[in-house]
Amino acid sequence: MRGGLAVFARELRAYFYAPLAYVLLTFFLLVQGYYFSLIVAYLADPRYPAGKPLELFFGQTIFTWLVLIFTGTFLTMRLISEELRQGTIETLMTAPVSETAVVLGKYFAALAFYLFLWAPTLVYVAIIRAHTPVDWGPIGSAYVGIVGIGALFLAVGTFASATSKNQIVAAMLTFFCLLVLFSIGLMESLVNGETAKKIFGYLNLWQHMDDFSKGIVDTRRLAYYASVAGLFLFLTTRALEAKKWR
Amino acid sequence: MIEAQNLTRQYGSFTAVSGVSFAVPEGEIVGILGPNGAGKTTTIRMITGFLPPTSGRVTLGGKDLFGDSVAIRREIGYLPENVALYPEMRVEEYLGYRGRLEGMERATLRRRLDEVVERCLLGDVRRQIIGTLSKGYRQRVGLAAAILHDPKVLVLDEPTVGLDPKQIVAIRELIRELGRKHTLLLSTHILPEVELLCQRVLIIDRGRIVAEGSPEALRERWQGRVTLTVETAAPQPGAEGELSLVPGVEAVATEGEGGTRFRLECQQGSDPRAAIFRLAVEKGWTLVELAAARASLEEVFVRLTTRDADEASEEAA
Repeated sequence: MRGGLAVFARELRAYFYAPLAYVLLTFFLLVQGYYFSLIVAYLADPRYPAGKPLELFFGQTIFTWLVLIFTGTFLTMRLISEELRQGTIETLMTAPVSETAVVLGKYFAALAFYLFLWAPTLVYVAIIRAHTPVDWGPIGSAYVGIVGIGALFLAVGTFASATSKNQIVAAMLTFFCLLVLFSIGLMESLVNGETAKKIFGYLNLWQHMDDFSKGIVDTRRLAYYASVAGLFLFLTTRALEAKKWR
Repeated sequence: MIEAQNLTRQYGSFTAVSGVSFAVPEGEIVGILGPNGAGKTTTIRMITGFLPPTSGRVTLGGKDLFGDSVAIRREIGYLPENVALYPEMRVEEYLGYRGRLEGMERATLRRRLDEVVERCLLGDVRRQIIGTLSKGYRQRVGLAAAILHDPKVLVLDEPTVGLDPKQIVAIRELIRELGRKHTLLLSTHILPEVELLCQRVLIIDRGRIVAEGSPEALRERWQGRVTLTVETAAPQPGAEGELSLVPGVEAVATEGEGGTRFRLECQQGSDPRAAIFRLAVEKGWTLVELAAARASLEEVFVRLTTRDADEASEEAA
């Protein structure tokens, strides 16, 4: 446990020591700010309901997904691959910490940084709030969705990062997996069978985020993120162990 | 303290280490010596638990390394070959991190951190970023991290590689000092290091142990003939014949042009220097040199690790 915390703390600091974090923070805010202003400008009309800009900011547009997929990729690509490349994995794996503690430490560091990345978007909420009353329910549920889907994406990235000592390879693998994970649900509108539609419907992340942004929280979806994230983190520990046997 | 039993490690179809068994008794410094690619690092990695052996067992104080891996790792301090560190961290910060990984208490950690910083002469770079340090300092940071939690066993893989002569002396001094308190396993391809530091040596070649023993015993056992150099003040015709009659001398060769210097190959275990001195007195030679050359461990090492290649080429011929 203590070992895992040490890994978490080191990893979180490592984000702030690397230029990547600042580049990412800057671009994240630029892009998010731009989207937000676009949405607000578009909806700056008395005909639209007051809470609508925030709803669109969190869901129902491709913007959210671009941001989610890219941050998921960039935040995790060096997580484990850097240890493999530098060889620091050797001292880490011979220290009295389990693979699980290492993986969880790193994963939660990525998740913490992810939350840090999203924190400034609360300002947008405040901006809207300053001009018109907002409904806190959908905003809360939107953040639940952002955190849930982020947790899922970061777990995928963590796994990809353990498969290669090359960050770029890890990033490409993550990007590809996230695209699949994201688009598999879009199959819902392409298949015909009743059951197939239902299955893809369950996995439709786009739909999930739409609903979250409207204030609909379905716990089955949260269970889906948690279990897939858990599966990928488990696979990560196995990948680390497997490294030894090659 | 550490016992390796029949360790074998294969990478695909390549056997890096094959049937290596040895024991490192408590409080000893044992050196693993071998040419590059002999399987030293693979062996070390199996001892530290980084690499599971394909077959065989490693026990530490009687406990199986891969059975109770996490708990046992606390007993081992390890300096890997490449001394991988996080370049973005400060020395102090890195040592703190390693201490927390080892599960050290906060107060103990603070005390030990000061101790190892002093011991490894890191005082003046304590707040420096690791990425800006020279190789020598980095090596010392790695060493400091390895001894931080005061492990019973220290495993050092090529601790002096890439250092300048002054740093090598400093690190060796530190290793010798550490050897007084810790059980130490050291790998190197530098011979004098082993002769200087280790009580026992394992010579590894092509994944097998080809010789084992104290540096003296190895030298003794594998020593070919003792070679004597005899020099007289003036040329002595017939000296070559006289010398070859001394008991224990197998062959005599004249060295150089003057006919005053002779090289004597002696039988194993014999030292005919006294007899030669008496002969000189008897014949009225003035001896200016009478010296025995002991086979260096280097010669032993070269012989042991090139033997197979020679045999192979002989077979081929």
